[in-house]
Amino acid sequence: MAKTDIVCATCVGTGQGPCDGKGVQTLKEGVWISNPISIQILGICSALAVTNRLENSLVMGAALIFVGVGSNLFVSLLRNVTPRRIRMIAEVAIIATFVILFDQVLKAYYWEMSKQLGPYVGLIITNCIIMGRAEGFALQNRPLVSMVDGLANGLGYAAVLAVIGFFRELLGTGAIFGHVVLDPSWYTPNQLMVLAPGAFIALGILIAVFNWISGANKAEAEGEAP
Amino acid sequence: MDTKRSTYSIFYAAALGLVCALALTAVDRATEERKAANAQAEEVRNILTVLGVPFDAGDSAAGLLETYGTAVTEEERGDSSFYVYDNPDAGVLSATRFEGPGLWGPVEGLICLEEDMRTIYAVSFYRHEETPGLGGEISSDWFQGQFRGKSIVDESGVPGISVVGGADGISEVDAITGATMTGDKVEEMLNGLIEELVGGGGHG
Repeated sequence: MAKTDIVCATCVGTGQGPCDGKGVQTLKEGVWISNPISIQILGICSALAVTNRLENSLVMGAALIFVGVGSNLFVSLLRNVTPRRIRMIAEVAIIATFVILFDQVLKAYYWEMSKQLGPYVGLIITNCIIMGRAEGFALQNRPLVSMVDGLANGLGYAAVLAVIGFFRELLGTGAIFGHVVLDPSWYTPNQLMVLAPGAFIALGILIAVFNWISGANKAEAEGEAP
Repeated sequence: MDTKRSTYSIFYAAALGLVCALALTAVDRATEERKAANAQAEEVRNILTVLGVPFDAGDSAAGLLETYGTAVTEEERGDSSFYVYDNPDAGVLSATRFEGPGLWGPVEGLICLEEDMRTIYAVSFYRHEETPGLGGEISSDWFQGQFRGKSIVDESGVPGISVVGGADGISEVDAITGATMTGDKVEEMLNGLIEELVGGGGHG
């Protein structure tokens, strides 16, 4: 473990090492700096649709991480032998394979969840985050760092979904993971948060908070500069 | 290798397609049994629920099937098949399936009648694609619960259920505000079934 840490810390910016010296930066980009949802505003459809419960949000996040890592790996491995003209079709084929793989396993081992997520797992095939990472990153980078990129963007997506899912479930049903935490004797669940408009409101507030934090960071950085 | 040539592209696409197809076939085969068991358990769970058979919600697919096997008998009466259960609290109950078009997609459900084959014990809409929060409310407890104790023939003996606002009759249930279309469709499909049940074959 310690050895990996040294490798990760020392190769930054050198252009060498297993991630070509940009593993840490790639991770930061996906999770925070260019977060697919809060900064790039991609993958909104599923982020709005499945976040009425925290558990659903987490499973959806896991799906995206799995598909992102898997498809980025294979797109990257095949990047030098894929004909340019049909590269997007090849990417979609790889992505679709991973999505259906996840969907089938969900259907077999987590039936209840599969029913609740409905078509949204399958719709990851057309998710702009996944396609964007394959086209914009994996096609130009080596396999390992491509996997890091897939992981980072999946994590960024999952984190935002988890936050929205947490607040929607808490305010909409007064529960977390199905356990009642806000006593119904004084808290009346706000149905709005469970329905689609609640998702828009929650996402809007979240993006505003993100912008406010990153804006504050930027101002601070500029203030410190001589 | 010249990746710009058309023949290369064709072979590449074919090879990639083949590999993907093989991977998917493998995972489909591997999960086939469990998926089938899940689907079957789902069916059985719907039937057990509508008949009021006590079962453990967390039970495995095999456990549910066993409960179903011991408690429920299947009977053919006329053209339709019934699931029959001797409920200790409510007498012999018979349930049958119905289906029809909803507003956005097909609606499937089960209706369970008491021994007189007129009084409704329970109705369940277990599969539908109606708007969540509006037409989707047909699968909510309050909407389905209204059917209990209602009769499939009205006071004057005319068969049929009505989904109306401010329901008070023996064969009326409250409609869902903002989901008139779904209500009409549901009424239509239930009445189609009721006509068959009352018209003949109902008493077996």
